[in-house]
Amino acid sequence: MPTAVKHQRELGDDIQVIFVECQGADRDTYEAFAWKMKWMGNAAMWTEERPLPTLGSGLPETALIGVDGTVILQGSPGALGKRLNEALDAEIKKSKQAPEGTPAELKKAWTHFLKGEVAAALAECDKLATPAANEAKEQFNSRMKAKVERLKRLIDEGYVSEADALAGDLSKSLKGATELASQLAEQTARLAEPALANEREASKAIDAALDKVALDKPFEPGNVKKIAALGEKFAGTKSAERAARFVALSKLKIER
Amino acid sequence: MRLGWIPVVGALALTSFALLRPAPPAEGRVVDYRFTNAPVNAMGIKSLAELRGKPVLVDFWGTR
Repeated sequence: MPTAVKHQRELGDDIQVIFVECQGADRDTYEAFAWKMKWMGNAAMWTEERPLPTLGSGLPETALIGVDGTVILQGSPGALGKRLNEALDAEIKKSKQAPEGTPAELKKAWTHFLKGEVAAALAECDKLATPAANEAKEQFNSRMKAKVERLKRLIDEGYVSEADALAGDLSKSLKGATELASQLAEQTARLAEPALANEREASKAIDAALDKVALDKPFEPGNVKKIAALGEKFAGTKSAERAARFVALSKLKIER
Repeated sequence: MRLGWIPVVGALALTSFALLRPAPPAEGRVVDYRFTNAPVNAMGIKSLAELRGKPVLVDFWGTR
């Protein structure tokens, strides 16, 4: 199993792993391959698009992107050795504190923000009204806007369970942050629509079932049958489409 | 003897060398990529910018 899968499973929300297929396999092939190898069922994402250029000196290759978007390390995992784990630990630590070089007077705003108290963080920035405080405020707003946009996409794509959880977190975080809270309200109103009830039930049942089979012989006929049956039960939902995709992938002949 | 092919071969050799030479690591550079097609299991995430504040581990691999 790739170390990155272990990292994603063990470190959960603290990191995001992105697997990039670089040998020209199509999406169906590499997704089926990942299911077959029991690498799914965690938060890792899979793509064939390279978010940064590879070194071109062979696979596998790893790149660690830090909390501020800077590439910290790039190279063969073997050559990077324990430097990679050390750098990863350091970045996780950074993600839980104010960025290096934050002026002392802005630390309070960052502490609020990192605790999820966005309104208090924004108020602190307004109180200071310095260029650094304005910059921090912009960053807080932009990160939270991205989360609200992500919530919208989760609803659009039928990941209702995930959307409910995110909406719950955001509702607490954005309490009192007027502008962001009103953007959130649009999405929470969508989540409350009766039309979404069946999608919610489907998402709960199918996503949980997929997570469960991911770790235990995903493409075993019994598991595939179970997912297919859930897809039929919730026909017409986005989650049923995901179930149908899983069933189709299970039928692909993947060589390994 | 015509030697006109020497510059052509030389140019080809230089081009091949440039293409095959490993690229320099992107270390120290800020990357901000927006995916054209949402990755599998993207869960609503479409760009690296949305992941700011969290370390991202990119694993380049192959199915073969």
